[in-house]
Order: sequence, then C-alpha cells, then structure tokens
Amino acid sequence: MGLLALGTALDWPEAKKQAHLVRSWGIRQLLEIWNKAKGKERDAMLWGDEVEYLVVIYSKDDPKVLLSLRQADILEALANDKTIGKEGCTPTLPDGSNDEAHYSYRLNQPFPVFHPEFGRFMLEATPGKPWGIDFKELLKVEPNMKLRRCIAKDHMLPNEYPITLTTFPRLGSPGVFTEPFYPVSGPKLRSQFVPDEIANPHIRFPTLAANIRSRRGRKVQVNVPVYRDVETPWPWKDPTVNYDLHQWPEDDDVRNGAAPDNFIHMDAMAFGMGSCCLQITFQAKNLTEGRQMYDQLSPLGPILLALTAATPIYKGFLADTDVRWNQISRAVDDRTPEELGEKPLQNDRWRIPKSRYASNSTYISEDRRLRPEYLDPDLVIDESIKQQLLDGGMDDRLATHFAHLFIRDPIVIFSEDLKELDLNKTDHFENIQSTNWQHMRFKPPPADNSIGWRVEFRPMEIQITDFENAAFAVFMVLITRVILSFDLNFYIPIGKVDENMETAHARDAVLTRKFHFRRNLFPAVRASRGSSSGSSTPTGTASRPPSPVGPVEDEYRLMSVNEIINGTAYAKAFSQQQRQEDNNHVPEDDEFPGLIPLVESYLDSVNVDVVTRCELETYLDLIRKRASGELWTTAKWIRHFVGCHPDYKKDSVVSERITKDLVEAVVRIGQCEAKGKGFGELYGPGGEVPDFERLMGRHR
Amino acid sequence: MTKLILSTGNIVSGGPSIIRKPGAYRSNLELTNSLRSNFLAAQEEAQQQHQQLHGDDIADNNNVNNNDTSNGHGVHIDDDDTDANGTRGRPPASAWTAEEDGVLYVPRIDWSMAGLQEEPAQYDITAKLFFLPTDAPVSDRARYAREALDLVLKELRVPAVDLLIVSFPGMSFDGDCEWEADKINSRQGNDEDEIATWHAAIEGLYDAGLAKRIGLAEFGSEKLARFLKRVRVRPKVNQINLKNCCNVPPPLAQLAKEQGIELLVHSDCTDILPKGTLRELLGQGLGGAGILADTETGKGGLQGDLTPQWVVKYTAVVRDRGVIENKGYFAGAGLDGA
Repeated sequence: MGLLALGTALDWPEAKKQAHLVRSWGIRQLLEIWNKAKGKERDAMLWGDEVEYLVVIYSKDDPKVLLSLRQADILEALANDKTIGKEGCTPTLPDGSNDEAHYSYRLNQPFPVFHPEFGRFMLEATPGKPWGIDFKELLKVEPNMKLRRCIAKDHMLPNEYPITLTTFPRLGSPGVFTEPFYPVSGPKLRSQFVPDEIANPHIRFPTLAANIRSRRGRKVQVNVPVYRDVETPWPWKDPTVNYDLHQWPEDDDVRNGAAPDNFIHMDAMAFGMGSCCLQITFQAKNLTEGRQMYDQLSPLGPILLALTAATPIYKGFLADTDVRWNQISRAVDDRTPEELGEKPLQNDRWRIPKSRYASNSTYISEDRRLRPEYLDPDLVIDESIKQQLLDGGMDDRLATHFAHLFIRDPIVIFSEDLKELDLNKTDHFENIQSTNWQHMRFKPPPADNSIGWRVEFRPMEIQITDFENAAFAVFMVLITRVILSFDLNFYIPIGKVDENMETAHARDAVLTRKFHFRRNLFPAVRASRGSSSGSSTPTGTASRPPSPVGPVEDEYRLMSVNEIINGTAYAKAFSQQQRQEDNNHVPEDDEFPGLIPLVESYLDSVNVDVVTRCELETYLDLIRKRASGELWTTAKWIRHFVGCHPDYKKDSVVSERITKDLVEAVVRIGQCEAKGKGFGELYGPGGEVPDFERLMGRHR
Repeated sequence: MTKLILSTGNIVSGGPSIIRKPGAYRSNLELTNSLRSNFLAAQEEAQQQHQQLHGDDIADNNNVNNNDTSNGHGVHIDDDDTDANGTRGRPPASAWTAEEDGVLYVPRIDWSMAGLQEEPAQYDITAKLFFLPTDAPVSDRARYAREALDLVLKELRVPAVDLLIVSFPGMSFDGDCEWEADKINSRQGNDEDEIATWHAAIEGLYDAGLAKRIGLAEFGSEKLARFLKRVRVRPKVNQINLKNCCNVPPPLAQLAKEQGIELLVHSDCTDILPKGTLRELLGQGLGGAGILADTETGKGGLQGDLTPQWVVKYTAVVRDRGVIENKGYFAGAGLDGA
C-alpha cells in the first residue's frame, strides 16, 4: 500500500488546496528519476509475488466465523520474532515429500516480509528477496508461499487463520462479523454496514477513505448485481439497507437512490480494498523492455482475471458476477458529479470516464507494431504536465501516460511533506502513481536508482491454495519470457481491453463468454535472411514494422479463454461446453496457437531438468484445465458449495452457517496443504471437502 | 562430391514454426518448417532485387494474375512463368545460394550479420549435434562435428558453447512405460560406434575448450553405465524424451544422481532430417526449393544422391533473464555426383 510515513494528514478541503503543489513536485521527482534511470541497462530478470490473506477466527464448535482485527498485533509479533521453522511449519517439497536438504534450505531463506493492508483483517506477505529466472528457483515459490502462510499462522492466536479467499462472505452483513465488535456508522467511513475500525488505524487509511468520500461528495456506491435464484424475490431489494439513519449527511445517499433494486448495496472502501489479490512484479532489463512488457501483458489482464475468478459472494448474498474488480473500482471512486458527467463542468477540469482503480488506458511502448488506432482517442490528460515532461526530455508516449495518471488529485497529503521539495525522494510522485490502481502499473526505479524499471501485473484474484497461487505466478513469469523471446504481439485496441475487463465479470466467464484477442501474435513476414534476424533481439523497438496493414478490426476476433490459453486445436477437442461447435468454425489458417503451447515451445528451447519440467507441467496442467472447464474456477466451486449446502434456500442468501462451513472447508484445505502430504484426504465421495476434485483435479 | 550446408537463421522470433503442435515430435517439424520458410524468404528477397534491377514486369504480372489475396505475402509463382533455367518462376539458385570451396550454402549466409547482442558471457549457449543415419564410416563424424560446431560459433560469434549434446542415430526413449523404454534403449544404437565417435569427435572439442560441457541424448541406464566405463571425458548431461515426463525410470534416475549427470528434457526426434524429407525440401515439387534436379526429367538443378549427414541445433539464452535471443539449425548433406 505504498509508504506508511507518519505525519499530519490533511482533511480533504485542505488537501485539495495542496493538490497542485503535490502534482508539480511529483512531476519534478519523476523527471529526476527519469533522467537518472532512463539509460539503465541489463538489469536481471527479477520478480516478486504478493499474497494477501484474510485473518479469520474459526473454531470447530463455534457456529460463527469472524474477521480478526488484530492486524497490528500480528504484525508486531512477526516483527519481533524472525525465526523460521517453528513447530507446525513442516518443511515440504512441491511433490509432497520432506527431506533434510530442503529443510535446511528453508531455514536459510531470508525471512518473508509482512505488510499491513487497508483492511484491518488483512495481511500481505512477500518473499524475503526477489525471485530470479533459474527454472529451479521457480519451484521454490510454492514452498515459500507455504512458509509465509505458516509463519503468519505461527504468530496468530490458535483460533486465527490466514486464509486466501478474496473477500469475507459476510463482510458488512447485519450483526457481528468482526472480533472485537465495533458499531457501524463511524465518522470516517460513515458506512451503515461496516465500522470505521474495519480499516487499518494508521492515519493514512482512514484519511484515504474519508477524503475519497469527501472529494466525491457522498459515500462510494458499490453495487453488485444479485444472483437471481429460483426463490430470490424479484425485484430484489437489498434487505440489509437501512433507510432511516440520520446521523451523517451521507445517510441520505440511500434515500437518493444509491441502492437500486436487484443490486447488493455497499457503501465503503472496505468492500473493495478489503479484497485479496495475487500480484506479480517483474523487473525489466531496461526502460524499453519494461514498456514492451507493460503493453504486451495488458491485453492478458482480463483473461487472467476471468481465469482466476474467485469472488461470487458479497455481504451475505450470491452475486451475479464472479470477480472482485469492479467492486474495488467503485469502492475507491473519488470522482465528483461533474467528473462523472452527472453535472455540467463548472469547478472541475474534465470529465473522467474511469475510476482511479480501473483497467489501463494507455499503451506506452515505442514499439513500431503499436498502431495509433490501438490508443484511446478520448484519453484525458493534463496538457501542461505533459508539456513539462516533454520539456524535461521525456518522449511523447510516456509523457502522455504520466500526464494521464496525473489528472488525479493526491488523496492523502501529510503537511510535513510540503515544507520543501526533496529531489532525492519520490514521495510526491508515488502519492499519485500508487493511487492510480490500474490493472498494470509501470514502475520507475526508486530515487536511489538501486533497482530497475518494473512492471506490475495486478488483475489476478487470490486462490485458496498456495499450489494454485504458485501456478498462476509461475505461469505469468513464463509468459513474460515467451513474449520477450518470441517477440509476440498481443496488441488490440485498448478499448477492447476495457470491454474484456467487463466481460470477465460475468458468472463463469471462462466458459460462457468470449474475449477480443489478437489472431496473429507473430510478425506477418519472416525476416528475409536468417542470420540477419540475429540483430533483432526482441526489444520492441527493434521489431520489424508491420507489413502492409489491414483494418485494425481484422487483427482480432472473439475467442474463449480456452482457445486463448490452450489454442484452437485443444479447444476444439476438449471443450466442456455447448459452445464447442463455435470453435469448430475456426478455419485452419485462423487457428490460435494458445498461450500454454507457446510456453511449452519456450520450455522445449531451453535446458530444463526432468524434475523441474514435471513440476512446471503440473502448474500448466492446472491452468489448462481451469481454462477448458475440466476443472472449476474458485468462484464456481464456491457457488456450488453454497448451492448444495443444506442451509441454502435458493434465495441468494449466504447464511452464517454456510459461511462458517465454507471457511471451515478453506481452513481444512489450508491445514492439509501445510502438512505437505497432498490433498488426498480431501477428495472423493464422503471426502471432507465437497467437490474438491472439481477444483483441483488430482493435483498434489 | 558436393557438400550442402542448409541453415534456418534465427527462428526464435520468426513466426509460427516455433509453435508446438500437439502429438508431433517438435524439432522435426520445427526444422523442416523453418528451413522451408528461410528458403522462401531468401528467394523472395532475391526476386525483389531482381525486379529492382530489371523493372517490375514480374510484379505487374503477379498483380494481374493474383486476384486471390488469401496470401498477402510469400512468393507468388505462376506455373507457366518459366524462366531460362526452367525453375518455374523461382529465382535461379545462384541468386539466393552461394558456393564456396565446394560447399553450397542454402541459402547464402551473410556472416556480417552474425553475432549476439551482448557479451558471450551473458549467454547460456547450447548446441545439440545429431549424427544422422548414413552409410559413411564412423570416422567421418569427427569432421562433421567440427564443421557443425564451427558454423555455430561463427553464427553466434562466440569462442565456445556452454554445452554440446550429442545425439546418435537409432536411439529412442519410447514405450508406454518408461521402465520398458529403459530396457529397449539398452539394445539400441551401436555402443562401439558411439564410443569411437565420442573419443574421436567430441572429447577433442572439449579438450580444445570449444565446448565447456559435453553430454548425450537418449541414453538409458544400461547403455549409459556401459558408456561411462569406457570414456575419458564423462558426459555431464543426458537428455531424455519422456512422453509422460514424470516417470523417469528409477535405475536411470539413480545412476544419474550417483554419477552427477544432469537429466534434461527434450522433445526432439533422433532422425530429425530423413533423406526423403530433405529431397522434398530441396526438390522441384510444390513447396520445394528447386535446388535438386527433377527426379523424372533430370532437369532444373543438382543431380545425384543427396544424403543428410548431420544437423546441429543451437540456442543462446540470456542467462539471468531467461530470454532466448537466438535459436536455429544448420544441416550438412553430401551429394554424390550423378
């Protein structure tokens, strides 16, 4: 969540007055680092993953599960005790075996880093040092994730568990859902569903929430369509909304239509920023490669969002969507009515089509394959900031990108930071940059230039097990290597990426929806002389220009996630859905190779030892089958769990009992994974976790 | 006897020939597809140069005749557009191949474009040498190995490769059960030839520092054990092709562990360039390069019996970034004069 400096946070009216100053200092800091770092070369491929947890309180005999708000205590305990390998942290290899060498490896690992998150019931953990690209090292990710979870658990109370569900199913439901309990309707969030104490008490977080609300002029509106089951009353009116509160001016919101029919209504940042996700950051060899990766990974965002879907429940109700993305987007949407286009522009500078948390709006590479038609023709930018960046020596495309990010106001400003501009820091730049939560983030080196240009891939939802989380992390790492090695071209118009992001929200979008995707990833014409292409190491700018260009619309078509991930041939053969016949219409010369076959082609071209290749294959197999429908997404599994539960009345209500059993199943899966003996005991009829094999197959 | 050197150039960003096709041995297809596309590219370039020199009558001709726009690139050849050499619209072989010292390079190689982007130390360079089934004496293999490795070093402009893997003819690692594969493997190949080749052709490259590590492909446990007893420089790597890659035969896993030999995975076919395939690639037929004479008429190109002798596959991977910068193949073939 960025830098947690202490200080005096300004309330919105004061912060607003300083917004321009922060922006202009931020731009000067950006230019400073740009000039320092633009020539950086040959940085190694390093990468890191971030795993976020909910901390739940669960015991077998208690009918309720609660969110623990002891984040600060847990973090303190973790900070005070950096021993690894306490009881309970059984060392395991990815194949489930234990051995001495591995145990000592594990003890010699740098201690993982634990971070606070917005939600006071959340925790984030990252590896103690970044990962490299040695293939054997890729296999260390999963044990390291398990180690992190184990260490976290060791520093909690016996009945507290770090679990990786994206959201707590009954966050904001009437009654008690936190320990300790706090009443709702506090001064910062003014939420009628969650107390102020739901947020990390560090002044940054309540200020962030309060200033977003204040800037917006009302509470955030996080409305999710409710899933209509056979017994769901229709039209459905969220029964938990209280229309008779009169404590805060914002209590009028619901009386003014903030809670429409057939939507689950939520009114606080915690409903979005309290979601857990799986983020991966890659270091590029230089600026050019970083920009190339940013652009090429961008169209993959919605695909991976759909594939990792894990969020079918909000506030005790089944939603009609499967992913968290739009809820977070709305939970931090600070746009004013003028910016939203609800009122004519008078005080604000422009209408802004997207929340600060949204899919990317820019491509930033100077790649010659980037056709102007791919860019957003209506991109909102701050022209004076762009000019300042151009004058400072930045190229047009990157200046445009930052001039777009800098249309936003800084939300949290500490008065201490406004005394003088320190060009040896990047705090003001980061203030704006790190509150632009797009699905990709392009990260300049830090002020001391000690690390390289980085790209963060942010759309993926967290999965229940570390096996799955490692699988998706490693897959994304391999995809970046494939993109750079084969110089792949994933460009489609950026508006189509937005459209795909919406599509990814649909229930079971993996199997029921199609996504715009580029047909041909390769250059149209091969380099004329073989050896001559030795000079065109994939660097983006060195790429050959597209040969005679046709209409942009011909460059992409609709594809299922199965076809994108596994290729047309596999999709034809193994599609589990009635949509199978659609794929059969794809003519042979329009067949898509598939991302997994491309990864396999890459692995065929490098030296990988047998054991490593087998382990990587289990990861690829999980992803292959999730994409084809042979295995279920997490969202589908949770939905099914609820649907089959004896307490479920087919009325979309996820009761406390169902929630408890769901969390119990997840805790059980976690315990089983931590033991390192595989998931065997969870499978099969009479198994302890219903339909676990539909989620996981026989992996592990 | 004329010698032919075929090359693919860098195929890594060259398009679809790199894509794995389900169910097929990949290297086999990858090699033939990328040779074919490199030949086509070279011919196309030659044709363009020809047009620039001699006006663009051919282009006009094509524009008139090719209303079919299904193929926006590649070489358009009119079947009745026969030129002086009788090669049906292809540029003459001399326009896109080169003959030097009795060796015909198909296509011509522009060595001025060779090399890698960064210092050699930044790369992990692997070459895999396939000795193909020939009637030639085993003693010829030392020459093949030297030729193949020299081409790789010249192409990448590096003083040595990090790993040289040798693949012998007649070996496989097939079978539904890998135990069985290990057993069958024991009787494959020819121990004497392989050991003789290793002594005469491979150990020397290691001694000369041209290959920092040397390794084998497709050796099962028994064959490997016999091999290890009789060689001076021991292989550091054994590459195996496992269909279901998670079942390494335990005896092989055991032996490799004891002997410090790394077991790597590959998906290559041992007989990577069969004679018939090569004839098709270079012949007068559809999709052929028009280098060899028509088998029926004896016209249009080189005559005689063409035998593929060796193939070398090379890859250069940027070590700390995992990016494949260069990958390609050379193949050597002998032509017995008619």
